[in-house]
Amino acid sequence: MTAAALVVPGEPQSSSEGAVLFRAQGLHKSFGGVRAVRDISLAIPMGSVFAIIGPNGAGKSTLLNLMSGIYQPDAGKMLFGEVDMIGVPAHRRVRHGLARTFQKIRLFKQLSVLDNVVAGFHTHHAISAWQYILHGAAFRRDHARCRNEAASLLAFVGLEKRAQVLAGSLSYGEQRMLEIARALATGPRLLMVDEPAAGLNAAEVDTLLDRIGVLRQRGVTVVVVEHNMDLVMKVADRILVMDYGQYLFAGSPAEVQANPAVIAAYLGVDFQ
Amino acid sequence: MRAVLNSRLFWFIVTAIAIGLMPMIFTDSYWQTNLIVCAINVMLAVGLDFILGYAGQLNLGQSAFYGIGAYVSTLLIMKLGMPFWIAFGCGVLLSGIAGMLLSLFAVRLRGHYLAIASLGFAVITYQILLNWISLTQGPLGIYAIPPPPALQLPGLPIVDFKNLANLFYLTAGFAFLAYLLLDQLVRSPIGETLTAIREDEVSAASLGINCQAWKVFAFAVGSSVAGAAGCFYASFVGTLVPDAFFITESFTILAMVIVGGMGTLIGPVWGAILLTVLPELLRGVGDMRLIIYGVAVTLVVLFMPGGMVQAARYTTAHFRRLLASRGAGP
Repeated sequence: MTAAALVVPGEPQSSSEGAVLFRAQGLHKSFGGVRAVRDISLAIPMGSVFAIIGPNGAGKSTLLNLMSGIYQPDAGKMLFGEVDMIGVPAHRRVRHGLARTFQKIRLFKQLSVLDNVVAGFHTHHAISAWQYILHGAAFRRDHARCRNEAASLLAFVGLEKRAQVLAGSLSYGEQRMLEIARALATGPRLLMVDEPAAGLNAAEVDTLLDRIGVLRQRGVTVVVVEHNMDLVMKVADRILVMDYGQYLFAGSPAEVQANPAVIAAYLGVDFQ
Repeated sequence: MRAVLNSRLFWFIVTAIAIGLMPMIFTDSYWQTNLIVCAINVMLAVGLDFILGYAGQLNLGQSAFYGIGAYVSTLLIMKLGMPFWIAFGCGVLLSGIAGMLLSLFAVRLRGHYLAIASLGFAVITYQILLNWISLTQGPLGIYAIPPPPALQLPGLPIVDFKNLANLFYLTAGFAFLAYLLLDQLVRSPIGETLTAIREDEVSAASLGINCQAWKVFAFAVGSSVAGAAGCFYASFVGTLVPDAFFITESFTILAMVIVGGMGTLIGPVWGAILLTVLPELLRGVGDMRLIIYGVAVTLVVLFMPGGMVQAARYTTAHFRRLLASRGAGP
């Protein structure tokens, strides 16, 4: 299966948009009788901010769980770069450069803020096996490097002063930012954030938007699952709209805002 | 002064000296026997803590790994005439393999379900030891198990392990070694990985951690240490009966870990020592000792969920505050 074999609706046809980092075609996922995701296809351009939006229960989080490997799809194809992701478990997708945060925050609450980020370096320890028992010079270098990098990631999300407190004692907004820092520690090419703005105040949302912008500049592709339309319109390059587990529309923010089907799904048909 | 008290090397030297002095302070064979039991229980407790306190896996099969280590090494010595240290290695290895197998079968189980599965494993192991009479002699037991062979190092006097003090040095030395090994592991990225699994497996997987593989690893290490304890137990007591590895032993070890403070390695060491010595000290009060023991454990779980380690931290913090306020006063 080659990348070109996957045709995705709503994908920009001009090749000037650059390479596609993540492709999915015809994804299906059912839970019992509930068809949470039905025939979803998408193409995420490299270096872009890609938003997945839709009303509550549209299947956005299920789609993200399929992409990150927490669920395996019932049918469909997925390519990350040139690598087939079907059947690859979540922990191995991280080694390919896929990272995510969770809608329902899943920090290591009993560990310090710094240790949460340090745990994210799991796939990046370059020390030989005996160093785990007899801590030599390479071990100490690795130990110091992880803590330094973790500290700079904390500074990136504005938590440098909170490094030593327990993650569970952070405010809601801080916990969301810490999840992003922890996911970044894995060194992702594709970062997927699930409803990052939920529970954040206006100032925190601005910081979040700014950080996503910086990540994009640094070449990280970002997928944002959100139902806050304002945020999505500000940050996204391309948007996939879902409704009832199905594809509704895909395009640029301006196209999405002008699309009658999207307006109907969000505001009701008779609103105008 | 603060730097010295915080240095690991300082405390390791203090521990080594304390181990060295113990048989000189407790010269009667009754207390020397208890010292050896302490050392064996320390091994069992730190082994369980690695699985439970760090990887977060509620393992009630520790008595089985303990028994497998004891029976495998003893049978190899008694039936095949194997040298002690080779039999010891085999006992440790087989306990570790048993731990791996249990965790492979139970890899999708967590919390209470894993507890039941591992308890079932402990019951099965006990029943096998009890009923495979042609091999284990069942409830009749195996008698006259020799102590570890005398050690002769060039230039040193012969160290005879029929002597209780020497046997204590051997078991305590291995307990110390097991502690050092586990301490190095939990302070390496492996410790970070295991605690991540303990805190949240889905999150851990999202950071690239293969939770199933690491749980198998934790079980392998923790059960090997229990197997080593079993080997020493058999050669120390000289008699093996299956009842020594009944499932209540698993709960006793669990109590040591909880009373000491799980998720720290030093806690279970103190828990093991306390819960070995306390029942002996309470022998004078007859059967009341079981009630006192039970009440003490319950109180700890209710009011000090962090165990003795938490209590110690609380007390030192309290004293520091007290000293600080004195210093600030007139």
